[in-house]
Amino acid sequence: MAKKKKPKRFYDYSLLFCIIFLTAFGLLMIYSASSYMAQLKYDGNAGYFMMRQLVIASAGLVFALIISKMDYHWYARFAVFAYVLSYVLMIAVSLFGREVNGKKRWLGIGALSFQPTEFVKIALIVLLAAVIVQMGNKVNTWKGMLFVFGLAFPIGVIVGANNLSSGIIILGIAFVMLYVACKKHMFFYGCGAAAVVAIITAGPLATFLEKINLLQPYQLSRIHVWQNPEAYAREGGYQVLQGLYAIGSGGLFGKGLGESIQKMGFVPEAQNDMIFSIICEELGLFGAVSVILIFLFMIYRFMLIAQNAPDLFGTMLVVGVMGHIAIQVILNIAVVTNTIPNTGITLPFISYGGTSVLFLMLEMGMVLSVSNQIKLEK
Amino acid sequence: MRSSHTRHREKTAVLFLLLSLCAVGLIGRLAYLMLHRAEYYSQMAEDLHQRERTIKAARGNIVDAKGKVIATNRTVCTISVIYNQVKDREEVIRILCEELDMAEADVRKKVEKRSSREIIRTNVDKETGDRIRNRKLAGVKVDEDYKRYYPYDSLASKVLGFTGGDNQGIIGLEVEYEPYLKGINGTILTMTDAAGVEIDNAFEDRIEPVSGNDLHISLDVNIQQYAEQAAYETMERKGARQVSVIVMNPKNGEIMAMANVPEFNLNEPFTLNTEAPAGISSKEKQELLNQMWRNPAINDTYEPGSTFKIITAAAGLEAGVVKLEDTFSCPGFRVVEDRKIRCHKVGGHGGETFLQGAMNSCNPVFIDVGQRLGIDNYYRYFEQFGLRKKTGIDLPGEAATIMHRKENMGLVELATVSFGQSFQITPIQLITTASSIINGGRRVTPHFGVKVTNGDKTVVHRFSYPEGDEILSEETSAQMRFVLEQVVAEGSGNKAKLSGYRIGGKTATSEKLPRSLKKYISSFIGFAPADDPQVIALITIDEPQGVYYGGTIAAPVIADIFKNILPYLGIEETEEESTSEPGNGS
Repeated sequence: MAKKKKPKRFYDYSLLFCIIFLTAFGLLMIYSASSYMAQLKYDGNAGYFMMRQLVIASAGLVFALIISKMDYHWYARFAVFAYVLSYVLMIAVSLFGREVNGKKRWLGIGALSFQPTEFVKIALIVLLAAVIVQMGNKVNTWKGMLFVFGLAFPIGVIVGANNLSSGIIILGIAFVMLYVACKKHMFFYGCGAAAVVAIITAGPLATFLEKINLLQPYQLSRIHVWQNPEAYAREGGYQVLQGLYAIGSGGLFGKGLGESIQKMGFVPEAQNDMIFSIICEELGLFGAVSVILIFLFMIYRFMLIAQNAPDLFGTMLVVGVMGHIAIQVILNIAVVTNTIPNTGITLPFISYGGTSVLFLMLEMGMVLSVSNQIKLEK
Repeated sequence: MRSSHTRHREKTAVLFLLLSLCAVGLIGRLAYLMLHRAEYYSQMAEDLHQRERTIKAARGNIVDAKGKVIATNRTVCTISVIYNQVKDREEVIRILCEELDMAEADVRKKVEKRSSREIIRTNVDKETGDRIRNRKLAGVKVDEDYKRYYPYDSLASKVLGFTGGDNQGIIGLEVEYEPYLKGINGTILTMTDAAGVEIDNAFEDRIEPVSGNDLHISLDVNIQQYAEQAAYETMERKGARQVSVIVMNPKNGEIMAMANVPEFNLNEPFTLNTEAPAGISSKEKQELLNQMWRNPAINDTYEPGSTFKIITAAAGLEAGVVKLEDTFSCPGFRVVEDRKIRCHKVGGHGGETFLQGAMNSCNPVFIDVGQRLGIDNYYRYFEQFGLRKKTGIDLPGEAATIMHRKENMGLVELATVSFGQSFQITPIQLITTASSIINGGRRVTPHFGVKVTNGDKTVVHRFSYPEGDEILSEETSAQMRFVLEQVVAEGSGNKAKLSGYRIGGKTATSEKLPRSLKKYISSFIGFAPADDPQVIALITIDEPQGVYYGGTIAAPVIADIFKNILPYLGIEETEEESTSEPGNGS
């Protein structure tokens, strides 16, 4: 792989288009989902949520484009620093964090506030990519795997203590990166199979775990809500049901953009985690499947970039981002459709959330930057 | 390095495949929810979003025997203000004050209250409502509504009953025939958000109300008015607590009039018809209202007294234990076991036939007849005549007979029952049983309801009252008609005589309990024509002052009523004197 002068470089415009499309679609859906409640809450300002998201997403996109033109090896240097910073931020948030709905998830600096967990995700991706490159073949040994996992586990647990779903995503990212990096197969498939079995047998399993005091009663009740939201409407099934009502009333082609009724206060904070249910209601199965396919296309682009990245570091970075986006999309839709128990996960690019969209854009910048390092064969 | 690169490529591809698989799984799940379960969830969602606003159905009319409407609806308006839509608040306040004749402060408070809809006033008459609507004030809504209206105010108030705020019957026929009269309310379905606020321009579903059907009853306004007038006159003249008059067709049980004076104004059912003592609590007022709404002719029982001798006589004749010409002697009392029971005539009636005993309303004669029948027989006839059961009149709250249990009945009880004491029945029970005795022996069901028609005047339901059991033979019935005609012609009921008509009847003066109070219920039951009774009437005068004999004060009232209603009913005068052959006594 000899270097050539001014080699023709690749830039994944498909991915870029995909990002812009999803973000724009997200803004549209945020407006649709939130305008009714926003004008009630913010004195007639129907575009309150959409405008905030628009500003941050635009800024994020600019950052992404800048990052995409940089050499991604450059920020490998900050990997350890970012990793340590993650701990600092997570400890800070659990000490000084702003409490919203009984959970300390926000760290405020002056007028700005953000969710450090989003930073943790990107920091971990960079760190693990760097570490895996450093380890070389050692990653194929049990000891090496344990080491990599050992880096992700503590921060995952700290995050998970306050935000279970983010903890799961962080461990999921590590799992996916390790899977791609190392030689072993069966171990990972075994873990995956175990997870599927756990979901299928969740009911009896949870009852059993609660009996032997491994599970708190409130966690068991979440399982009950998930399995039968109608019967446990008061314990939290109400929210789940509202989402299902929205999805169910969408039908094949939906009620039409802006025609959702469920967004009128029935689905709580419809612009957040549950936005996919409003997409279903307004755009129907057709719209929902289209959104899933666009995400799938995005993941496909990640795969292509990962496969063609100039080096392992690039591959691992993209794989990390791919895992992150994929896990979040799948879990979000699974939650909204009540396929798994309810836990707060946002839908990337579409759900309202400044921190989320900002760091997602940074990740996209990284991926585009990797794509930009791909030298095209002449 | 090369191999590891390949491996990473492969694994990335496998990863993508696995993720695609997840995506397919989720699409499957979505398809299940959005296609298979769509109907279920969208129905649930719709139930959640829709708010029903009721459109009141017009309640059916109640129509008398001659087609006069005696209960109907009047359109009234509800005036309300929608805060957000009001443009000129001051003008709205000024005009509403002016039109509704309300204090400015009250109107201002309501108009300036921040609420989605504030009702200013309900039950505003239609003209005022129309005037306000024509002013076209932004934010002022005039909704039309129905209110029950009784054109004759207090006519047959305790029979007709009235309706409550939801247009539901509260007492009387309004309750009894609720299912026919009520109709089906319509609904306007509007969409609301989670807070229940109606969404503008959202799809509105409207289900039109179905008006209630008209109820046609046997009551005749003219007869009722006359009966009420006679009852009021009697009540005033005699200073009575209350007077009831029932006029009925003895052949089929159709009630032509049921007056219970004092009546109350059906258009103001919550206003007492007597002067309420000052400063009564709302509970006490409710108690007084309940009393006012009571229909004593069917809700209250009393000791019938001598009118009940009709039953004893019919039972004795039917059983063959007595004949009209059997002789008795009355020394002014009769000793039964250890008790001396007095006749109303202190000196006694002396020797007399059974017929004369009936004409004299002589207690010892009827005590003897009762004793001849014996407890078992008497009790059997009591039951056979239907006295133990309710009459089944189509009004709510009919009181049951209060009678000795057979095993507790001794000869003394039998003696007192024989002339109508020591047990209680309702006036409607008495007139119904008397009807059955004189109509040829068939038990009838007293009733008002005749048929139900819909808006097109087509009959949708005709009430049938199957002919009851034969409780008496035709012969005994004919004998009873003869006996009772003699009572009026020459006996204690002679004040009920009406020239040109053959009247039968029986008087009674019942002592109210406790007897020491010396309060009475004077009554008379009469029927005409005596040979073929087409109308029977019962008057009960509760606690008359002064002269209290039924024969003196009650009988003439019935005569007076008959004088007016018999020609009206098309019953012609006959010149011949009343001498129909008595039935064969054996």
